[in-house]
Amino acid sequence: MGLVKKETEHTFVKLLEEHQNIVHKICRMYTYDKASHHDLFQEITIQLWKAFPKFRGDSKFSTWMYRVALNTAITLYRKSKRKPHTQDIEQFNFKIKAEEYDDTTEQQLKIMYAAIRELNDIDKALVFLYLEGKNYSDISETLGITEVNARVKMNRVKKKLKNILSA
Amino acid sequence: MDGLDLLKKDWKNQEENLPHFEAEQLYKMLHKKSSSVVKWIFIISLIELSFGILLNVFFMDKQFWNEVDSIHLKTATIVIYIISYLITIAFVVFFYKRYRSISVADSSYLLMRNILKTRKVVKYYILFVLISSGITMMLFYIYTLLYTPEISKNLEEIGWISIIGIGFIAIILFLLFLWGVYTLLYGILLKKLLRNYTQLKNLDF
Repeated sequence: MGLVKKETEHTFVKLLEEHQNIVHKICRMYTYDKASHHDLFQEITIQLWKAFPKFRGDSKFSTWMYRVALNTAITLYRKSKRKPHTQDIEQFNFKIKAEEYDDTTEQQLKIMYAAIRELNDIDKALVFLYLEGKNYSDISETLGITEVNARVKMNRVKKKLKNILSA
Repeated sequence: MDGLDLLKKDWKNQEENLPHFEAEQLYKMLHKKSSSVVKWIFIISLIELSFGILLNVFFMDKQFWNEVDSIHLKTATIVIYIISYLITIAFVVFFYKRYRSISVADSSYLLMRNILKTRKVVKYYILFVLISSGITMMLFYIYTLLYTPEISKNLEEIGWISIIGIGFIAIILFLLFLWGVYTLLYGILLKKLLRNYTQLKNLDF
């Protein structure tokens, strides 16, 4: 009895350790400081562990991980939206810098990251999967939407980002 | 170059700066939920204990002891207090030990056993509080009736049985209220523990 559980746990931790970068990247996308990064990582770990019995191995562990981890981040993000919004100092800096628009790559990247933070939960997930180099079929599967819908949404996001950049 | 493509390139470079957790840290994360629940049980029991002590410090003045003495319960009160404090402290120590062992438990099997034990003891604790409060209140009620001359005189007219009956019902009602408070206080935490336990158990496929 105990042995089976211990083995399951061992397998899970090993897989998680191997693929933890995915979770860290999602945390980067949805949090702004180290403490909340750690909190979100912890929460995602627990959700993955809860869902682990349902993971049957017919999809890749990483694919399954993307789905569960993103769903957790999205759900938590929605919950935190109900709390009063406090603006991050760093984010504020980005805004100022965006105003005195500078054309260097570094600067543009900063503005882009700041812009992504302003996106809504689903759009963030889309951008994240896009940055991860996923194709539309993967994206649609992970987020549970149709491929066409994924494309339409992504185009909208691209436009949105462009608007933010040129604003 | 499109802004997003620029970002995509940078995104790959960012991977080097990502934090990394060792397996040991990940194991701990899996068990943190229960450990934080048990931590709260421990904290609440501590608050309860200190609240009780504070209350006693305020109420146990000379007048209190004179009154207790007048109804012949001085020794009994001292004994009851000592025993109940000892038992409460034992529970607090137990909760602390559970908390320690749950936060370092390295397998779900051990964690499950710890959760079950903690749940059981919390239930014993609530039972202890209810029974000891019930007995103490009943004792004080009856002795007050017996040894306060003004009351015992009037009692003859109304009748002993009905007076004790009314007191008994009042005490039961108060205990029910107390039980409600405790169920609310600890019930939520116990439910969380149970949920965690079921999840762990479900892993045994």
